[in-house]
Amino acid sequence: MNLEKRKRELAKEFSPLLEKTTKTSKIWIGFLIAVILVGVYAFFVQLFRGHIVTGMRDNVVWGIYIINFIFFVCLSYSGAFISGVLHFFKTPWKNSVSRIVEIITVLSLIIGPIFILLCIGRLDRLHYLFMYPRIQSPITWDIIAIMTDLIGCFIYLYLTFIPDFAILRDNSESASKWRQKVYKYLAIGYQDTPTQREKLHKITRTMSAMVIALAIVAYSVLAWIFSLTLQPGWNSSIFAPYFIVAGLYSGIGVIIIAMYLIRKYYNLEHYIRKVHFIGAGIILLVISLLFGYFTFSEYFSRWFSHKTHDANLLDTLFTRYFWMFIFANYIGVLVPIAILFFKKFRTIKSITFSAVIAVIGLWFNRYLIVVPTLETPYLPIQDTREEFIHYTATWIEWSLSFAGVAAFILFFILIMKLVPVIPMSGIIDNEREQLKNKKSFKKIITE
Amino acid sequence: MKSNILKYKFITSFIIALLFSLNAFAQDDASNYRMRFKFKTVKQHDNSRMLEVSFIGQNKKDRKDKIPVFDAEIKFYNEANLLGTTKTSNEGIAQFTVPENQNYTTDEDGYINFTAKFEGSDGLDEEEDDIQVKNLYLELNLEEIDSVKTVLVKAFTIDSLGVEIPLEEADLIISVGGMISKMNLIEGTIEEGEFEFEFPTDIPGDANGDILVYSIIEDNDDFGNIIQQKSINWGTFKTKSVKESNTLWSEAAPIWMYIVLTILLVGVWANYIYTAVNLFQIKKEGKELELKKE
Repeated sequence: MNLEKRKRELAKEFSPLLEKTTKTSKIWIGFLIAVILVGVYAFFVQLFRGHIVTGMRDNVVWGIYIINFIFFVCLSYSGAFISGVLHFFKTPWKNSVSRIVEIITVLSLIIGPIFILLCIGRLDRLHYLFMYPRIQSPITWDIIAIMTDLIGCFIYLYLTFIPDFAILRDNSESASKWRQKVYKYLAIGYQDTPTQREKLHKITRTMSAMVIALAIVAYSVLAWIFSLTLQPGWNSSIFAPYFIVAGLYSGIGVIIIAMYLIRKYYNLEHYIRKVHFIGAGIILLVISLLFGYFTFSEYFSRWFSHKTHDANLLDTLFTRYFWMFIFANYIGVLVPIAILFFKKFRTIKSITFSAVIAVIGLWFNRYLIVVPTLETPYLPIQDTREEFIHYTATWIEWSLSFAGVAAFILFFILIMKLVPVIPMSGIIDNEREQLKNKKSFKKIITE
Repeated sequence: MKSNILKYKFITSFIIALLFSLNAFAQDDASNYRMRFKFKTVKQHDNSRMLEVSFIGQNKKDRKDKIPVFDAEIKFYNEANLLGTTKTSNEGIAQFTVPENQNYTTDEDGYINFTAKFEGSDGLDEEEDDIQVKNLYLELNLEEIDSVKTVLVKAFTIDSLGVEIPLEEADLIISVGGMISKMNLIEGTIEEGEFEFEFPTDIPGDANGDILVYSIIEDNDDFGNIIQQKSINWGTFKTKSVKESNTLWSEAAPIWMYIVLTILLVGVWANYIYTAVNLFQIKKEGKELELKKE
């Protein structure tokens, strides 16, 4: 196999995805920018008028910002976890999904913490967290974990991009000059020599193991922010593994949705096949069973012990939040199980539908963890105005939430404009591996 | 739950009572029960005397089947003198307290004769029981003798001339009040009218350290039941004073937390540095290859 020729072929195959922008994607990008701009306006309204423009009050101090934060950060951790597992165990079909997972990981880890900044009432005092950190505080652990994880994920993502940057550097004569310069700079002189390849594989593998460990630690720390308090609904010993399972559930869901959209709009049916969806669907099934088990165990123990405040919380869940509770914990779990359990239901569309249900269910699940607990405090508050007791998100919060989602999708599209969503280096590695196996097989036959 | 049982007992006993008094069929039912009419007296700590009757119907075949007879009028007598009248409660208990200053008629041996009498109803036969007790005085003193907390009990009777005659011998219980029932500390014997007991030093008492100490003579053939009690601040409420030197609320975190965090961060950042070093080596090799090509 002529490697250089093959690399050129691949660069040629993927370059239209990188260089050409269709009319639909222009409209789509324009729409996303518009959503982000509305979010920016909402941000300035909040900045100048304060948190009074949100639904958060003395009682419910955390609203959908923190829910989005948990959702995105969990998405990121699960992405890191899945990506690490794919690389570390050299999963056969990793090539088609690994980059999607890696991009999801990094983007969600950038978007997620922005929501916590939106939640902070006194942003002017943010630097105090770094100037006077309390090692005893789970918030400090979380800051350390997120920052360390963000850096680790960036390094890891970059490592997986280097061979593709090198291919694009060597085969993008027709690309614009700035693009060529960017590729050259980011490829750091990688020539795919055996020593370079070996070094890169070694550090990528080490980093893949590292991001798995980091994801577990960071996940647990995030769960401890809740479970180390004595609040009803939060103080639970299984919260850390529960968050890990829930995060994986949403992570797999978002990956499936991303796979479906990318496959459809970039015509990558050749690379993202049904077998990938079925594989991801089976993983989603296993995780949904685990998630269902953890959810049941969590609520069952609270219901059975029937402590006053837990009972009040459950009462709130089954009255005020009845439909959300049913969607999050019944429909969000049972529908994916029902679809994915039967082989004949496992089509690309049905698997994607299950993933959508799972992701929406998970977001509601996060809502039910955060808001109802804050609405049932140990001590009754003095001000009994409706908006002080119950939380309802305002348009400011929704605008910023949708802006976050829009930013996530926009950055995803922009990254896909910089590097191919299917790693070319992975395709080369696979073909090289196949050739090697063929040769050794021939050798055995002739011997 | 208890109140429910009592309610059912009340209803049952009420029905039984109706059955007993109203018709012949009920008479047949009542014949299945043997009436237990028990009478006792308790001399209380304020020297008043409680007279108590327990009036229960017990099934002849099934002894566990007991039905209290409620609202039955009981008359208490000292000899022929009527001391008072009371009715049985839902539990079949009738209690009547005779004040300390009551003058009793005694027989030639100094015994007070008490009689409790149920005069019968349409359904129930007449019941009567009597007891004879001597008037015993029980004195309870709680003193610290040479820093030793001591319980001193003195028991005596008073003859017709007003002379105290020490009690020769009787079983005695020293106990302290608990939340649900009394806790016995010792079961001893009064000899020559006196009993001494070293009070334990490990009884916590209530929130203020107060303890209610009882001296009790129970079911004595000559004196019946006598209770004396006194409250004293002898409780040794031991609070565990744990010095919280390194809690999460203090300024410094526990040392293990620093160690764990340092190990984790050093491990992760060492790996980042290792990765960066390898990337520089890759870059260096790339540059060398470029120079060679040129």
